Amino acid sequence: MVTKTDVSLKNFFIFNSTIPTKEGEELKKILYYYPITDHADVQIKNVGLVEGIINFTETFKPSSPVNSLHTNDARQLYFQPEKNFWVVMTLHLTNLPKNKDGLNNIEQMLEDDIQDNVYEALLKQSYYVFRLFWNTLYSYKDTDTLKVELEKFFNPYLKCLKLAHADILDIFNGIQYLPLDKNTFLKVQCFINHLESSYPEISHTAFLYNDHLIWSGIEPEDMQTIYQYLIGTLLPANVETELQGGSMPRNISSPFMALRHGRFITGPTNLKLAKTMGEVPVLYLFGSDKPVKYYFVVYRALSATVCFFIKGDTILTLDFFKQLDEVASPKLIALVTDIAEYCAKQIVSPSVQSESAPKFIYFNNLNLAYKSTVHLDNKRSGNLTCTKESLRIMADIEEKNGLLGKSNETILKTMNDYWVVGKCSNSRQFYIALQQKNASLIEISDEVKKLCDSELKGIFFHPV
Amino acid sequence: MSDNVEIDPGATHESGLVTTNSFDNLERMSSSLEEIKSTNAISHSEDSNDNSNIEQLEESTNYVKDNVEEGEIEVSREWTSKSKHIFVLSQAGKPIYSRYGNEDKLAWLFGVMQTLVSFIQSSDDTIKSIHAGDTHFVFLIKKPLILVAVHKTQESEQQLITQLNYVFNQITSILTLTRLKKIYEQRQNYDLRRLLTGVERLIDHLLDFSEKDPSFLLGAVQCLPLANSVRDNISSAIISSCNKIKNLVFAILLADNKLITLVRMKKYCLHPGDLHLIFNLVQASESLKNSESWTPLCLPKFDASGFLYGHVSYLAEDCQACLLLLTVDRDVFFTLSEAKQRIVERLRRGNCLEAINEAVVSSDADWNGAGFPELRHYLYKCKSTAQFYQPPLGPPYSLSLRRLMDVYKRSHQRLHSSARPLKLAFERSANEAVLAWDTRGFELYATFEPLTSTAAIIASVGKLLDWVKKREDKLFCLNAPTF
Repeated sequence: MVTKTDVSLKNFFIFNSTIPTKEGEELKKILYYYPITDHADVQIKNVGLVEGIINFTETFKPSSPVNSLHTNDARQLYFQPEKNFWVVMTLHLTNLPKNKDGLNNIEQMLEDDIQDNVYEALLKQSYYVFRLFWNTLYSYKDTDTLKVELEKFFNPYLKCLKLAHADILDIFNGIQYLPLDKNTFLKVQCFINHLESSYPEISHTAFLYNDHLIWSGIEPEDMQTIYQYLIGTLLPANVETELQGGSMPRNISSPFMALRHGRFITGPTNLKLAKTMGEVPVLYLFGSDKPVKYYFVVYRALSATVCFFIKGDTILTLDFFKQLDEVASPKLIALVTDIAEYCAKQIVSPSVQSESAPKFIYFNNLNLAYKSTVHLDNKRSGNLTCTKESLRIMADIEEKNGLLGKSNETILKTMNDYWVVGKCSNSRQFYIALQQKNASLIEISDEVKKLCDSELKGIFFHPV
Repeated sequence: MSDNVEIDPGATHESGLVTTNSFDNLERMSSSLEEIKSTNAISHSEDSNDNSNIEQLEESTNYVKDNVEEGEIEVSREWTSKSKHIFVLSQAGKPIYSRYGNEDKLAWLFGVMQTLVSFIQSSDDTIKSIHAGDTHFVFLIKKPLILVAVHKTQESEQQLITQLNYVFNQITSILTLTRLKKIYEQRQNYDLRRLLTGVERLIDHLLDFSEKDPSFLLGAVQCLPLANSVRDNISSAIISSCNKIKNLVFAILLADNKLITLVRMKKYCLHPGDLHLIFNLVQASESLKNSESWTPLCLPKFDASGFLYGHVSYLAEDCQACLLLLTVDRDVFFTLSEAKQRIVERLRRGNCLEAINEAVVSSDADWNGAGFPELRHYLYKCKSTAQFYQPPLGPPYSLSLRRLMDVYKRSHQRLHSSARPLKLAFERSANEAVLAWDTRGFELYATFEPLTSTAAIIASVGKLLDWVKKREDKLFCLNAPTF
């Protein structure tokens, strides 16, 4: 058995095909290029090929612009986020020179592992995160500024890209919600309404408990990207500093005492010592027709995270933050205690979940909610309860969903006798991996029925 | 599920057909011709296929160029909306074939495709496919040609590659691979269309044929249902009329796109891919109906380097079965013509012609009465003999064969995906429930009413396998007779 090499990035570039260039100045079209070590000629050649492919494919009037190019050694994915702008990502299928059969074998395996729908989703995500903080590419009238900004964003972003662990969840790019009982949910609502009416500068608010969203006042498509940013980047970084004492004074007897008080994790992170406000991040929401600018202020206490979207034309002062902190902190601490109590009651002891129990992924297209018992954490670390193979088969099923109509069911038996099931109904998608050898089709379809009844109460699955 | 079936229906110890893997790339070529020629000293030592000049070839093939004036089709909306374009070009970018539109008017497009291929080659890589929404571009670089499919169908890349391979083999079957290579070695810029007049029609037909007929998908051949005794009589009639003739490699009798029997020289088997080309040739050439023909034919899987010579004729005015006698001798037309007469006489005496006619006409419609109320249609492929059986189309597919083929292609694709092959695939949509099952001995694709329960489906499948087993000697050619 040959060891598999991981998927790796060959190049990543952004260009505008309409920037007028003279012969010999093609480099001007390229707004961003990674890796910087590629010679200018190589860059120009690569962009030229993409332009050629775009033109060639357009001849046949496809339903959408070109998505991907498959070659023996590489996979190239395309995304046209705005008119004339193209974002291109190329993945290596092999890192090693191929000479022996064994190596070709690896290549074949990598090629099979790279699913267009998954990596296309990854490519799109990268653009949406950029747009969230830097606005659209089109909004930059000056290409030189745009180039600088793109570098600022993509250089670190590409380094953190977890190519090897991309899977069907990236296609959904969903949000985990925390369902609460009426009372607790109303308390959260009250808290948010109180703040929003006391501070008219706050246009919208989002409320999270751990990794779960409880309330969001912004459009789901915007929340999707913000959620990924919070869960993937901002919060993990802060939880780490909290655990290390971080910006908190170290002489406090218990580190947890410090956390009994809320604090800002964007903006003035240490109010007591702050003399200035620090830099408050700005972001753009695209829920309405035009991008709207907001200050993005994140406040955290215990396990709760509150995001305030403050109108972009507000003049922020340190006083504002101090006031907000004073009002929010005690209420929030009390609220979190309530939520924690409620959650404690709901938790089913994990020992019930046996190894061989079916693992599932659920996604609702309407509110972008997802739930997964396949992934053990939110970190894209490849910490899975089913085989990677099964996850890939799920993505295969997802790819063909469109061909089967709105309601459908797919049951597949793999070569090593595992079963993977996909069900689609009412804009919901449900994927299940069952590691039951020697089961029959009938048993599997019964098992899935049971699981739908127990896990997805109240969701109506069409008989078909 | 298959416990009650001891030997998979249709399986035999011996097969006249080479068994195929799914998505056989038709890569493996043998050199059977040399072998046969060396074992049976050929009367004519001079056998220089490759030097036979162009004119001779054009004469000897019976194809007449259709002089239909191509309309002024360029890149119109109608042209771009075609569900599947096929292009063939030389490595130098010279147009050879376009399924729709005039190659000369599309010369620029061929140029673009060649540039793309060579551009990517210049960085030591090979282009495989491009995907843009509903439109997919599949490239097959098969020296000395480049084949490209541009399609808006749901077929997989592998399925398209198989189809392009068929197109390549169709071209080889007219020229031989050796000749094809030699032509381009001598002149890179050669316009191959000069040698392929009339072949466009064969390729056109092959493409339509392969889209409609599951045999291409399955890499298998369907047999004409005949009682075992009748089939044996037919085979022995052929054997006894031909056993004196040296160098006869294959005798193939087919009707209605189905195989009646295949008699072969010992040791040699026919690949289904080659047989499909023969089916295509017979079906696409109306002129064969009127007279006996003598045609050189290269079977690329059998031997891509040289020609077999075929005596092709229909049995009789009153029996539309087509007989092909394939030999390595290039001038035994009259010997074979006589043999054919003897065969027909024997078949007539044995009442075999009537039996064939009856089998062609009767659509075997009683299968649905066999107790499968929810079963709509199925394909059963016996892997060891590369044969398959399908019942006649019933509602709702009688009006939408294409949709049924899409369903089967999707299931086939799931089972045989090179990345993640499966043992079983079941899908249920508002239109139908489909079970695709790949076992060691057979493949089964069955469509059911959409709301059929899985229990009922499994029960039906069990019964169906029994039913096929009971009738296997009628549905399949279980013997592989030799001369």
